[in-house]
Amino acid sequence: MLESNFTNATVPIEQLPAILNLNKQSLSEKYAPLNRLLNLGLTLFICVIAMALYFQPFFDLPKDFLNFLPFVIFAVAILGFLITWFSYARDQVKSYTLRELDLHYTSGLFFRKVVSQPITRIQHIELKRGPIERKAGLATLQVFSAGGEMHTFEIPGLPVDTAQQLRQFILQHKDVVKHG
Amino acid sequence: MDNQTSSSTLDSGDLAAPLKIKDDWQVLSPVAIFYFAVSVFKHLFSNIIYLIPAIAVSYKSVLEHPFIWLPAILAAFTLLTLFAFVSFKVYRYRLTEDNIEIRSGIFSKKHLNLPFSRVQNVKIEQPIYYRFTGHACLQLDTAGSAKNEAKLVAIKLDFAQQLKARIQNQVQKDEGDINLENLSADPAASLSGSESNKAHQEIVLNQRNLSDLVIHGITSNRIWIFLGGLAPFYNNIFDSIGEWITSLGIDLTELFSLQTHSLLEVGLYALSLTMLVMLVMVSFSVIGAIISFYGYTLSKLDDKYIRRSGLFTKHEVSMGLSRLQMVVQKQDWLDVLLKRINLKFEQSNSFSKNLSASASSSKIIVPSIKPHECQALIDDAYPDNSLNALVGNDAFSPISKRFIFRNIVYVLMPLWLIITSSTLMNGKFMISALLSVLFVGLCGLVVLRWKRWGIAKDQNFVYLRKGLIGVDYYCFPTYKLQQTQFKQNLLMKRRQLATVKFVLASGSLTVPMIDEKLAYEFIDKGLYQVESSQKSWM
Repeated sequence: MLESNFTNATVPIEQLPAILNLNKQSLSEKYAPLNRLLNLGLTLFICVIAMALYFQPFFDLPKDFLNFLPFVIFAVAILGFLITWFSYARDQVKSYTLRELDLHYTSGLFFRKVVSQPITRIQHIELKRGPIERKAGLATLQVFSAGGEMHTFEIPGLPVDTAQQLRQFILQHKDVVKHG
Repeated sequence: MDNQTSSSTLDSGDLAAPLKIKDDWQVLSPVAIFYFAVSVFKHLFSNIIYLIPAIAVSYKSVLEHPFIWLPAILAAFTLLTLFAFVSFKVYRYRLTEDNIEIRSGIFSKKHLNLPFSRVQNVKIEQPIYYRFTGHACLQLDTAGSAKNEAKLVAIKLDFAQQLKARIQNQVQKDEGDINLENLSADPAASLSGSESNKAHQEIVLNQRNLSDLVIHGITSNRIWIFLGGLAPFYNNIFDSIGEWITSLGIDLTELFSLQTHSLLEVGLYALSLTMLVMLVMVSFSVIGAIISFYGYTLSKLDDKYIRRSGLFTKHEVSMGLSRLQMVVQKQDWLDVLLKRINLKFEQSNSFSKNLSASASSSKIIVPSIKPHECQALIDDAYPDNSLNALVGNDAFSPISKRFIFRNIVYVLMPLWLIITSSTLMNGKFMISALLSVLFVGLCGLVVLRWKRWGIAKDQNFVYLRKGLIGVDYYCFPTYKLQQTQFKQNLLMKRRQLATVKFVLASGSLTVPMIDEKLAYEFIDKGLYQVESSQKSWM
């Protein structure tokens, strides 16, 4: 453990790499529009189902429910559009940073959040790709530490190549090789 | 316990032989049948507990038909015995040089193969019925899931101790630590090396006697857990208690009726009844504390902490110092009054996922110790910590006063306004007055909460203080961090405040609304220490 070239000089706080000025990389250009499309689709889907229920002649529904239904549809539509718009804005500010020794993920419009994951504490990595992500050539990078499943570090909407490069970088990182 | 360690050193010569030579499948001692029976019974019983009300209601009619329940119980008993016997028959284990294999299971066969180097935690457990024969259970936890743990169900206590020492040495060797009692590659030598272990005698750091445990029982609100578990049966319980009281010739409605008794009398009755209930609850809690912590010793062997306790089932949990993630010093309001502290040595969460019972969990808790003992223990674990000085000088940076403002104005005030205005409109002045009192009380609690919050750091550690009426201190070495989170909403940004979350293997800690600069400093410094120290978190 005690190596001869061991030094432990005090580092002034100002000279530490700071997470305040991270060199942020944006996610794939496709990510935000794709999410917007999905959200819109979901909203439309719910509205169409509800409308079909309203107009269908096959079986009788309680009268109260039928009177109530148009308002629900309106509410869903408005809420759906608001959420879509909001999450589109939020998706656009999501970004990540890879430094030599750690990974960072910044997100949030009103509630800004920076999650920092030192590479030396990484236990294992997963690339997750659902059917839609596969179609769009996107991938989600999941990084697990001993902090538990609640604190899985996740970067969504990466282009597949970037995600694989990131994974490769982490796997070959000297800290992971040493402690893995 | 001392005689066991000494006996194990004596026997080490004999025991080296079975450890080394017998690497074919071995059978457990027949005492294991007992263990299997009891564990099945326990498993069943935890389900039967839901049937108790039904049985209680119909037990008279059940009693009238002995020809049904007698054979039923007999059959159940036979089945249980049979199951235990077969479990024992199919259970095999094999020890090789650095590996343990266990085959078990009647219907679904299980074959577990565990290299010693993957073992995170070794626990020795001695149920009360093993004490006569001198057997014990050895439980090996891995870092993975709690499911694939290995348990050697009935082996001689000495052998268990030997095996434990051997496994832990193996783990150390693999980690390439600087092991002072370094073992050569030959496992036989490692065992005879336990002779030289006399230089590394176990040092007893702390012992708890009965009075301490009584205090712990009183201060820890274990009873609420118990009450929570009983919640579904409240009706039945109260009914039967009511019946019992009436059968004693006490009429509660008469007792508490204001027509026949003065207000003072009724008040006294109510008071004494509450006291009685409290007494019963507290005594339950005390009994619980004694059961789990009876004969508590915390000792240290080299860099391993060993906790032994238990009235019926003796537990032995050991934890290497390097596994320690965080030290937590907890004081409830009663603890503050009695000047006692509960100290917890926390290690990685994944070991204790489904072990919530305080006695068997791999967390090492030292119940109700005095402040100076607590300080001594913390200093022993982390010699260069400065918690004491920080507490003494009150050197914790407080969180922003906006915390009070935020909680009162944004959370409590709207609630209070809505409810009081609606009650006032309905003319229920008494309720709204009560609500206002409650509101003021809650505001007071918010202020107290704010006052308790604090954070500090020094060269190697981060310290956190929080609490409400009691005070808890958290202290962890900065390099144990797994992940950090910086959170800030727009309002906080305007005031240059931020919330920091430290994620450790033992759980996460959040400090709300500290100065933005301070938050950045904590995170940057923390990341720097994790990445520059190159020390493993385990």
